[in-house]
Amino acid sequence: MALPLSYHWRHLLAHRTTTVLTVLVIAAVVGTQAWILGFSVAFNNSLAVASDERKIIVIRRGASAESSSALPVEEFNRLIQLPALAVDADTHEPLVSPELMVQIALPRRRDKGQTTGNVAVRGVTAAAFRVHDTVKLQGPLFSKGAQEVVVGVKAAEQFMGLQVGDVIRLGYGNNREYQVVGFFSARGGPLESEIWTYLPSLQSAHNRDTYSSAALRVRDDVDPHKVVEEIAGPAIGLTAQTERDYWQAQTSRIRAYRALVSVLVSVMAIAAAVAVANTMFTLVAGRTREIAMLRTIGFSGRQILTGFVLEAMMLTLAGGVVGCLACQVWLDFVGHAKDMYAATNFTTLAFDIRLTPEIMVCAISTVITLGVAGALVPAWRAARVEVVRALREA
Amino acid sequence: MPTLQRDWWALPTLQSTNVTLTYVLMRNLTRNPLRTGLTAVAFALPMGIFVLALSLVVVLTEAAAKNEKQLRLAVRNKMALTGYLPDGVRRKIEELDPQRQRLRAVCAMRWFGGRVPDTQDTLTSLACDVDTFPVVYSDFELSPEEGARWQSERRAAVVGDGVARTHGWHVGQRVELKSTIPPYLRLEFMIVKIIANSSPPNMFYFRRDYLRDSLEADGATGAGCNLIWVKCTSAANLRALQQEIDALFANSPSETKSEDENAFISGFVQAIGDIPGLARSMALVVVFIIALVAGNSMMMSFRERTSELAVFKALGFPPRRVFGLVLAESLLLALLGSLLGIVPTATGLALIPRQMLISASFSPPRFSALAVVGALTIGIVVGLLAGVWPAYQALRLRTTDALRRVA
Amino acid sequence: MSAADIELVEVHKHYRKGRIDIPALDGLSLTINAGALVAIMGPSGSGKSTLLHLVGGLDSPTSGAVRVGEAQLARMSERELTAWRSRHVGFIFQMYHLVPVLTAAQNIELPLLLFHMPASERRRRVDTALEVVGLTDRRDHRPSQLSGGQEQRVAIARAIVTDPDVLLADEPTGDLDAKTSEEILNLLSLLHADFGKTIVMVTHDPRAAAYGQRVLHLDKGVLDRDEVNPRVAQAVRV
Ligand SMILES: Nc1ncnc2c1ncn2[C@@H]1O[C@H](COP(=O)(O)OP(=O)(O)OP(=O)(O)O)[C@@H](O)[C@H]1O
Ligand SMILES: [Mg+2]
Repeated sequence: MALPLSYHWRHLLAHRTTTVLTVLVIAAVVGTQAWILGFSVAFNNSLAVASDERKIIVIRRGASAESSSALPVEEFNRLIQLPALAVDADTHEPLVSPELMVQIALPRRRDKGQTTGNVAVRGVTAAAFRVHDTVKLQGPLFSKGAQEVVVGVKAAEQFMGLQVGDVIRLGYGNNREYQVVGFFSARGGPLESEIWTYLPSLQSAHNRDTYSSAALRVRDDVDPHKVVEEIAGPAIGLTAQTERDYWQAQTSRIRAYRALVSVLVSVMAIAAAVAVANTMFTLVAGRTREIAMLRTIGFSGRQILTGFVLEAMMLTLAGGVVGCLACQVWLDFVGHAKDMYAATNFTTLAFDIRLTPEIMVCAISTVITLGVAGALVPAWRAARVEVVRALREA
Repeated sequence: MPTLQRDWWALPTLQSTNVTLTYVLMRNLTRNPLRTGLTAVAFALPMGIFVLALSLVVVLTEAAAKNEKQLRLAVRNKMALTGYLPDGVRRKIEELDPQRQRLRAVCAMRWFGGRVPDTQDTLTSLACDVDTFPVVYSDFELSPEEGARWQSERRAAVVGDGVARTHGWHVGQRVELKSTIPPYLRLEFMIVKIIANSSPPNMFYFRRDYLRDSLEADGATGAGCNLIWVKCTSAANLRALQQEIDALFANSPSETKSEDENAFISGFVQAIGDIPGLARSMALVVVFIIALVAGNSMMMSFRERTSELAVFKALGFPPRRVFGLVLAESLLLALLGSLLGIVPTATGLALIPRQMLISASFSPPRFSALAVVGALTIGIVVGLLAGVWPAYQALRLRTTDALRRVA
Repeated sequence: MSAADIELVEVHKHYRKGRIDIPALDGLSLTINAGALVAIMGPSGSGKSTLLHLVGGLDSPTSGAVRVGEAQLARMSERELTAWRSRHVGFIFQMYHLVPVLTAAQNIELPLLLFHMPASERRRRVDTALEVVGLTDRRDHRPSQLSGGQEQRVAIARAIVTDPDVLLADEPTGDLDAKTSEEILNLLSLLHADFGKTIVMVTHDPRAAAYGQRVLHLDKGVLDRDEVNPRVAQAVRV
């Protein structure tokens, strides 16, 4: 049996100020780390949903995103002929969805409407719900005759004026009023940041006779990348990407942002490890004679080492818990929502940053590892205290 | 036998306590080199981030201040940034002030979304009204010759230094861009001017008449713009025009949203990653961390030396001096850590070629004396604050108690 | 209740300080019977503490043999010595060496934590040890709340709580006044008489040395004189 835990926390208590200050340093690092982890998880979840290899997004050659693509109907019709298309089990129709995307600026809820974000409005037909099979309606669908929209749950959370019964203005010259009639979810994917309405209605509102893009689903027995090549080939001549590739390209800037924050957090984490090392060195140095006594009694070097590592773990654990709590409080205070523009089309992708238990465990265990790394040398030094010499220092 | 001189036993004059204490001070820092080193490193790393963040903030603030002086108002489609405003909007805005007392010029722009062929580099490329562009962007300082080329050369382009450096472009060069928006035109341009310190670095301005003609030649409509810049004569006029313009188009098919240039840019920058916001919050977190690190180190070294400080007081050093000793030690340690963080970061910023840092959409931090001074100041303030509490305790130390306390 | 005899044969302990060789012990041989109370005296630097450290297995001799009971210390590894110490030796220091953040009872309990022992058993032993040193009412006090004499008594309780064969005390009264010293020495005699421990005590104080049955005088690392204290020797034999 090793030294009791109470021995260690009493020591930490005895060095109250030092302990508290070290805990706060760790807390600051864990807090930021938890935030970036939360952001990464939200981002990855969103992308994981949008990485269906069997779903292909087709845009006009030369365009970089759906919002800047204009796909003439004739070119779309060529897609319908593709033999690789999957077919709906009930209707036997090919699974290809023509879509038109426009954007509207809506006030953000986060800052009570002081700034606006660009929200994608997608005109779709019934086919869209079969191709984008993650989309689940919550409540009624827009009716084809009336000017109605359904709103992604993330969009409704992030932006004002998107509750059922609210009216948004669309159309060339913003002269058409559309009413929100329901919501839809898409398992947390990027589609949840959108607003959907009936395609012909949106086309007429915006005076467009083209589509923006097509989404299609390929049969299970064909290689989607072959289909991508086929669409790009001379017979069809459009730009196609699997959903995964499309979103990877669209989120390059967000990934760069995430990488930047991660680097900064890592540097700070190293600083925290050094701070822990510093504290542990001091705690060890102030206790040389005590350690010598423990060795005299018969505690082994390894037990002493374990004890000090344990002490560092208690220190970092406390810091980790405080940091996570602070991050949670901060998120509750400023809101869990974060939205960023996709790379090329300036449409908003909304993320919902949540500190799940996994994230907290991950953030805390990382920092504990760092803390232990920082404590190892001082603890080792403690274990190696020369008993006889230390006793003489009395 | 010589008589004892009267002053034989007199002590030499007191050595200045400052000299003694400075010696002690240096000894204290070197007595525990491990702690001094670790503290300095734990201080330096966040300090490095701080300098970086501060440099970025300084760059952005300078750019913002510069923009503010330009008194430009951005007018755009209220419903969507990518939505168009009819060409008539420019004229209606100009009619608000026919005498040109409140506004100097109005320049409409259309988004081109040009990409350098065979790269993924989409530039912030805008087609601008040829007549008013040099006035609205007088800060680009087109020389008379450059102005003349802009007027005479239909394919003239004014480009940011970032993009010019990335692609090795120079004045007089012909370059091609391929639009990423319908109808995906491929146009050739002639560079007439490279803007120094362009923010963002990937700007590409060219003539709207050229775009309109090219669009119409392709069978598309060339009418409409995405953005209208109104150069005003004073800040007050800018505020007034902002309201008047939005009121003028309210309830019309083309409702507008007007913002001053900085609000417009910050709305944009925030959404594409909010690097400035990130820099600001990182700077805060980092200052918090270094304050704690310094405070901690000072508390630790003070604890160890309580009795030693008591001896100083017992020997007759004035309490104020002991206070100063602790404070100076803290300050010195903070300075050491600050320099360790600031010097490499600042040197890096000064030496690393700017184009290596230039990303498409935001201005990278560059070496800024202001940021260095700011970081150093924060370091000093933190050092002083960290030392105040231990120093105060040293001041209040009851010598007898401290000496009785067996460490 | 157990005790061990101690035997040193031709023990050398040299310290190297650069090129200078300091012989702290210079061929010392001696035997101490099981259950004896021996005082060691000698001028400062004569090697008294060194001797105690060797007997306690804190340090190994440069040459020679040290036997305590069954254990041949000179042949044991650092690790074996550590394990051996926890069972067979109790140390008492001039500076007490209590852990300031633990209470008296917790300080005493420390060595027991090395053994697989139920908490109730530990408590029983701590209580007994506290009773022996007469500090039952101070069990929950911190070292800073105790007087020097009381601290030393806690240290003694800590030394005996594992029921070791040998108690080694290095100037246990060095920091205490005459009256408190006497209390501590009486306590040690009691441990010796009632529990039959082998006790080796280093001291500079002739009055303290008078408690020993034997007084060994060291000088420059060798045994200078070996006196039998007739009064005490008889008293114990009775
Ligand atoms: N680590 C060491 N390095 C060098 N010399 C040492 C060391 N430890 C002890 N010595 C020397 O060994 C000699 C014996 O020391 P020891 O501590 O045993 O003396 P002591 O009899 O206990 O003295 P005291 O009565 O002052 O406690 C001394 O000369 C001392 O200087
Ligand atoms: Mg000694």
